[in-house]
Amino acid sequence: MSVKIEVIAGGVPHDKIMIAGLVSTLVCIYLTYLNAFTNTQMFSFFGGLAVVAALIWGSHTIKVLCSYGIGTGVPSAGMIAFGSGTIAMLLATKYGMLAPIVALVLAAVIGLILGYVSNNILNMKIPAMIQALTEMAVVGALTVMGFAAMITGGFTFTGLTTSTATFLGFPITSYANSFLGGGLIAVAFLLGAIAIQHPFNACLGPGWKQDRMLMLTAECGFLSMIVAAVMSFAFISAGAALISLIVAIIGWLYTYGQFFAMSKRDAAAWLDSKPIPDTEGH
Amino acid sequence: MSAVAAKPQAGGAMNPTAMAVGVVLLIIILGACYYVSPNLGLTALIGVIVGGVLIGFGTHFVPVGGAPAAMGQAPGIATGVAMLAAGAGLAGLFGGAWAAPLGTTVATITGGIGGGLMMAITCMMVNFVYVYGMGIPAASGKVLHDPITGDSQAEFKSQGTEGHGLPFVSFVGGVIGGILAGAGGTLIYLALLDLYKATFPTLMSATHAQVLPVAVSVAGMFAVAMFLVNAVLTAYNITGTIEGPHDPKFKRWPRAIVASAVASALCGFVAILIVAI
Repeated sequence: MSVKIEVIAGGVPHDKIMIAGLVSTLVCIYLTYLNAFTNTQMFSFFGGLAVVAALIWGSHTIKVLCSYGIGTGVPSAGMIAFGSGTIAMLLATKYGMLAPIVALVLAAVIGLILGYVSNNILNMKIPAMIQALTEMAVVGALTVMGFAAMITGGFTFTGLTTSTATFLGFPITSYANSFLGGGLIAVAFLLGAIAIQHPFNACLGPGWKQDRMLMLTAECGFLSMIVAAVMSFAFISAGAALISLIVAIIGWLYTYGQFFAMSKRDAAAWLDSKPIPDTEGH
Repeated sequence: MSAVAAKPQAGGAMNPTAMAVGVVLLIIILGACYYVSPNLGLTALIGVIVGGVLIGFGTHFVPVGGAPAAMGQAPGIATGVAMLAAGAGLAGLFGGAWAAPLGTTVATITGGIGGGLMMAITCMMVNFVYVYGMGIPAASGKVLHDPITGDSQAEFKSQGTEGHGLPFVSFVGGVIGGILAGAGGTLIYLALLDLYKATFPTLMSATHAQVLPVAVSVAGMFAVAMFLVNAVLTAYNITGTIEGPHDPKFKRWPRAIVASAVASALCGFVAILIVAI
């Protein structure tokens, strides 16, 4: 038995958000590939924009799934999204230029099977479960890949496991000073996992508004991007990292201002909410 | 039906067809792994599956109360399964990873002790907060007498609640759960670390010492990711809250075993493919 609680209908339909999120994430991740063509690192910040786009899509997916009252809390959805997504992303990085596409397909397969497992073997019987877990695995994979592209300037396995430092004029290859070897992937994992689950967790309830939640997601995404931009100083040139940082700060200030305005807009109006619904809406 | 009592009731029944599909899927993944990497890969995958099943089974013991527990209206620790299992399991994983050079047995036991210790401290402090902070006694809502101490529960249970606080049996359950989950997480880490240590030098054409940070990091990341996947699947199995091993929901564990085995096999297979192809 699961009851769907749609407190407020309307807004942009989920399919539209999904397609827009998927396309813009992939395009942004591929735009970081301009680094390789132009032999600079100036385009790394597109990785951060990919993260924001993916998170907006993902948080709406969480909204779709969690309005069925799964009973485990919203954060668990973010955790399984990134748990399954990171696994797919790590394998996909081996495919060079094709990595984002491979990550997409692989994460979708993993998410599909996990969705089947939870819906049928664990008897959750929630209509949106399989599709939601599939989407969230893809979001998780593309978000971590976006962070990787932003911090290191690329998304290939070699690029993520090595870095070149100059010692006494000789270039030396370091494995410990890399996105994977240095454990930065764990930070990227949690930056994304918290940013994806927080918006719906914070905005759910009878006063839920789609635009406010998605604006909060963008705000969380840019906030994560600021941290990632600071970390990227260790891997890419200072100029490129500075561009990322400036883009992130401008994006964060704008989205935070917008979110604040929307919160004031929604708080000024009062909603004739019904008595507490029979099922919890988290 | 009050809003608090109205947790979604996912069916407690087994779904035999889906279970059969799950077992077939597991065999297919094992076969595929045997095909791509018969020795090292298969050993690692079996370690991963055993670890995943331990996590899935262990999480059933942990008294998860969720939001109702925070309001003193249900027994258990006042947070979700994902957070608790992550706390206990990762504490165990760190302990186990530290002991990894001492061999699989020592490391696994260390991981289990780390997880159990973390849960013991958590349960202890939770009860301090409940008793001295919120002023509520520990009482189970699911059983009349504590199965271990035999203490009567019903007199201490407030009307309109499902029990509150953390009864002794839940405390013991939490520690057992922490031990199993910590050992499971460590097993996954060790299985993958052994595989990566053996294969990364050829894959990346570097020396053993050079690739060690990458092997540790990738194995650790996979262990964390699989840990979270298994913990959340178990959370779905118990639909959010459970009191401990005496809770009727505990009887659902066979479903979680199959689900964890399939999920771990799938994730483990992908982790092995990194070095196998």
